[in-house]
Amino acid sequence: MTAQIGSPTVQITGVRKSFGAVRAVDDVSFDVYPGEIFGMLGPNGAGKTTTIRLMLDIFRPDAGKVAVFGGAMDEEKKDRIGYMPEERGMYRDQKLESTLIYFARLKGLSEAEARSRLTGWLQRLDLYDHRQKRIQDLSKGMQQKAQIIATLVHEPDLIVIDEPFSGLDPVNTRLVKDIIEEQRQAGRTVIMSTHQMYQVEALCNRIVLINKGKSVLYGAVDEIKRRFAGNAVVIQGEGNFNGVDGVLDVYQRNGTWHLPLAAGVAPQEVLRTLAARQDVQIERFEVAEASLDDIFVMVVQGETPDG
Amino acid sequence: MVKQWQVAKHEYVKAVRRRSFILTTLGFPLLFAAIIGFSVLLATNGGDDRPLGYVDETGLLVASQSAADSPPLQPFDNETAARAALDAGNVQGYYVLPAGYLTGQQPRLVYLTEPPADDARQAFSRLVRAALLADVSPEVSNRLQNGLSVTMQSADDGRELGSDDFLSFLVPLFAGMFYVFAVLTSAGYMLQAVTTEKENRTVEVMATSLSPLQLITGKAAGLFGVAMTQLTIWGTAAVVALAIAGVATDLFRGFQIPWSLMAVVVIYFVPSFALVAGIMIALGGVVADSQQGQQIAGIVNLFFVMPFFLFAAILARPDSPLAVAMTLFPTTAFLTVAMRWGVTIVPAWQMAVGLVGLVICAVIAVWVAARVFRIGMLSYGQRLDWRTVRAALSGRNNAGSKTSEVAS
Repeated sequence: MTAQIGSPTVQITGVRKSFGAVRAVDDVSFDVYPGEIFGMLGPNGAGKTTTIRLMLDIFRPDAGKVAVFGGAMDEEKKDRIGYMPEERGMYRDQKLESTLIYFARLKGLSEAEARSRLTGWLQRLDLYDHRQKRIQDLSKGMQQKAQIIATLVHEPDLIVIDEPFSGLDPVNTRLVKDIIEEQRQAGRTVIMSTHQMYQVEALCNRIVLINKGKSVLYGAVDEIKRRFAGNAVVIQGEGNFNGVDGVLDVYQRNGTWHLPLAAGVAPQEVLRTLAARQDVQIERFEVAEASLDDIFVMVVQGETPDG
Repeated sequence: MVKQWQVAKHEYVKAVRRRSFILTTLGFPLLFAAIIGFSVLLATNGGDDRPLGYVDETGLLVASQSAADSPPLQPFDNETAARAALDAGNVQGYYVLPAGYLTGQQPRLVYLTEPPADDARQAFSRLVRAALLADVSPEVSNRLQNGLSVTMQSADDGRELGSDDFLSFLVPLFAGMFYVFAVLTSAGYMLQAVTTEKENRTVEVMATSLSPLQLITGKAAGLFGVAMTQLTIWGTAAVVALAIAGVATDLFRGFQIPWSLMAVVVIYFVPSFALVAGIMIALGGVVADSQQGQQIAGIVNLFFVMPFFLFAAILARPDSPLAVAMTLFPTTAFLTVAMRWGVTIVPAWQMAVGLVGLVICAVIAVWVAARVFRIGMLSYGQRLDWRTVRAALSGRNNAGSKTSEVAS
């Protein structure tokens, strides 16, 4: 799932940024590669947006190094970036189509090209019939979709999207999810900041978790989940699961059996033991895995996998 | 450059579609047309072409009627006949030039409800003056009747100014008014253009599409076009109106476009606009919202319209230290020059010093604007404190630089 091919699109190394006495970003480092969806997670006020602004040259770091497309940001590189900020912005008193054309032209598209691409996008996101409406007359969800179009219409190589699913109904959430996945498949780099952990689990290859300005967790989603998995197994089935060597406890939750294991006991040993028994019927057996939601809470509350 | 052009086009189209722009841009020519029309109406006797009568008890007047006199003057043998004509509505009114006029007795003007029109009364005055000067040569008589007409000429640039041409006084004054109004209107749009980016939260998207300098220069260029459009419409309307009025009445006949003044307008316009734009961009970057910005902008605008408040003092003594000081002060330079233009000859050195000061201030304003805008653009709903602004000006700001690669 992780596609670290070639040189990173974004390289953040030991970046620091303070505002007065407040250190908003403190020694944050991560790389993001083409063809991956990278999640930026963290509680409110953790420093995610500041990190994004540092990455995009809106702010200058006090220390550290930011490289985008292999070097410092310049005006030409801006045409290769699509950014949907947390603070959504459109000209409320302007018409939708003319606003989107304006944004596309600022990203280097000709008017004809912008019009041509926008037709497809507007139709796909069900906004075509609303293109002559003023933005203030569109619903929040429609405005959100318009933002997504403005971010993607120039086919950027680096896409930075902050909370892309906020304000969307389930149908549009799925549509936007598909679009993001398409961008990844097209080899583009997607950096996504969100609080919706299930979306991160569904979409992201790798993540960085920032808390209090520091990078506290960084790596592939699968690996992190494994790292945080408790030494336990989850079983769906029927029978008596007691009396297995190395199993500390047996309890049922939400229709599945949870079996915490003693230190040094491998899940495979438990599986072999249970498979040999006649008094149990196993329909599903898996190593217990912490959800990203749990991991987020654990890390933010200062707990470690071993803690 | 392409991106700046896009921003300029966007701002231009947005501004000229505003109802306020359409109203002010078309409203001024309509107002101008109304004033000119009213003047023409007054000059042509307001439509009352009945004669003005007179009764000469001195035997001084010769009933010679100038062709230019309109309405005509009609002599009566006695006041009874004149009164009968007035009651019958055949005359606007009548003068009685008493027998003791030459020894100090005052003439009387008799009318029913409305006094006779100015031009009719002036025609009678000319008739009396001509009669009094009947014994002198026509050349001397003309000189005495027209008074001392002087042409002022400056030694430094050879510019001339006629003392008896009221248009040479009015045209620069109106040009100055329109100029300041156009600059301040555009300044208002500029402030709105900057605060709108903050209020609409579009500024972050803009910051990742083009540089702050590209953004503000694009906006300034677009709104410069707005001001030029407005001035062109107003200027064209004024010239057309004066040309039409010149055909209708003597009052505006002989009007010529004051090209030297136009040249001064053009030379002052760009730095004045840059100064106002710079101030408004910096202001837009500092304030929390457009409402707060407009309140402060109102105070800033006072520095540009100050000469209007000192209108009487400047016209009464156009070469006084006050008038000279305001000619040299950047924000009041052009308007003061325009006010003085018709009543004195503004020395070239004063205009040069004023212009240089204006250019220097404009450059500083744009420099400050670029720095303050860069840090102010992300301060949604909050005002920048003075310490932050000072840090930005000294280069110790929080915003990005041309390069993001900073050594640890």
